[in-house]
Amino acid sequence: MLRLTSSRLGSLLAGRPTAALTFSIKGRAASQQSHEVSEPVDMSRPMYYDRVDMPLPDKPYKDVLSEAEQKLKQKEKGPWSQLTNEEKVALYRLKFCQSYSEMRAPSAEWKTVLGGMLFFIGFTGLVVWWQRIYVYPPSPRTLDGDWKAMQLQRMLDMRINPVEGLSAKWDYDKGQWK
Amino acid sequence: MAHPSQLGFQDAASPVMEELLHFHDHTLMIVFLISTLVLYIIVAMVVTKLTDKLILDSQEIEIIWTLLPAIILILIALPSLRILYLMDEINDPHLTIKAMGHQWYWSYEYTDYEDLGFDSYMIPTQDLTPGQFRLLETDHRMVIPVESPVRILVSADDVLHSWAVPCLGIKMDAVPGRLNQTAFITSRPGVFYGQCSEICGANHSFMPIVVEAVRLEHFENWSSMMLEDT
Repeated sequence: MLRLTSSRLGSLLAGRPTAALTFSIKGRAASQQSHEVSEPVDMSRPMYYDRVDMPLPDKPYKDVLSEAEQKLKQKEKGPWSQLTNEEKVALYRLKFCQSYSEMRAPSAEWKTVLGGMLFFIGFTGLVVWWQRIYVYPPSPRTLDGDWKAMQLQRMLDMRINPVEGLSAKWDYDKGQWK
Repeated sequence: MAHPSQLGFQDAASPVMEELLHFHDHTLMIVFLISTLVLYIIVAMVVTKLTDKLILDSQEIEIIWTLLPAIILILIALPSLRILYLMDEINDPHLTIKAMGHQWYWSYEYTDYEDLGFDSYMIPTQDLTPGQFRLLETDHRMVIPVESPVRILVSADDVLHSWAVPCLGIKMDAVPGRLNQTAFITSRPGVFYGQCSEICGANHSFMPIVVEAVRLEHFENWSSMMLEDT
């Protein structure tokens, strides 16, 4: 179990509602300075989420506003043409954590996956190569070049698969493949 | 026999196998169409950026994707049943041969007129003459007259075996104490190879079947010669 100092735990519990929630559920954990790998979340209360298919979360991202932020919110109640661009962006960031393009931005995970795949495939190739040298028994003599040539000639003489298969592709008059 | 790295069926040597080849082409085409459609739908579902959380049901598409598979299944079943009954037609065989499976060889009995019986062992790899096929050649072949309906009665002496020759479209289990009947007619002369198709012990992979279809006079010479030898 990870052990956190109480100061780190304090910074994790940012908002007042979260603080009230977690102190009630995890007061014992906080006093014992222990930390859950995945903290339990009360899903019955309004929560914030970044989801591409749900554009309006239950509550804004930032609940606890500083003085400057509260002033900005007051200004927002007036005509929006008086807001500067930076103020509009600041208001957006108060409401939402990630923008749509940030939510949709691709990660570099595929490189790790592909690299891992190729690495293990290559490793398997090395294992197979080692096996061919040290483990496999000798091939039967019927796989030698001249035996296979005699075998193929015999298959053509016997007219094996003469309709659409092997012998159908051999030109018997000219003595060559069609 | 198959040529090296062959993936598809061998060319048919009997009319029933020809029918099976056409049926397989028909069914495989349907399978490819359905698989392509499903693969396309999967890829489209994965790469789409559209979302609709409010789709609950749709009677029209449900009707289509219930009826259409039923129709496709009927289109597969009709030719399948046709071939099934074709295989069982009374064909008045000219010759009856008994193929008995043993561990680990086949024995053939031609008892219509005389008492001819012989064993058919695989030729071991070290005894092959150059050009022969490894694990497929036997010392005695089951010789039959070409273009004559032949009845085979398959049984076994000890454990389960299975008498199979792919280019004739035949596979028949050899069950001890039971006679399984199958019939075929070869449309062309030639040598047709098969292998035991039911696990029967250590040398299950080493008891092949070789059927040789020859003109009637050659068959008569062969059977006289075999009778003299035994």
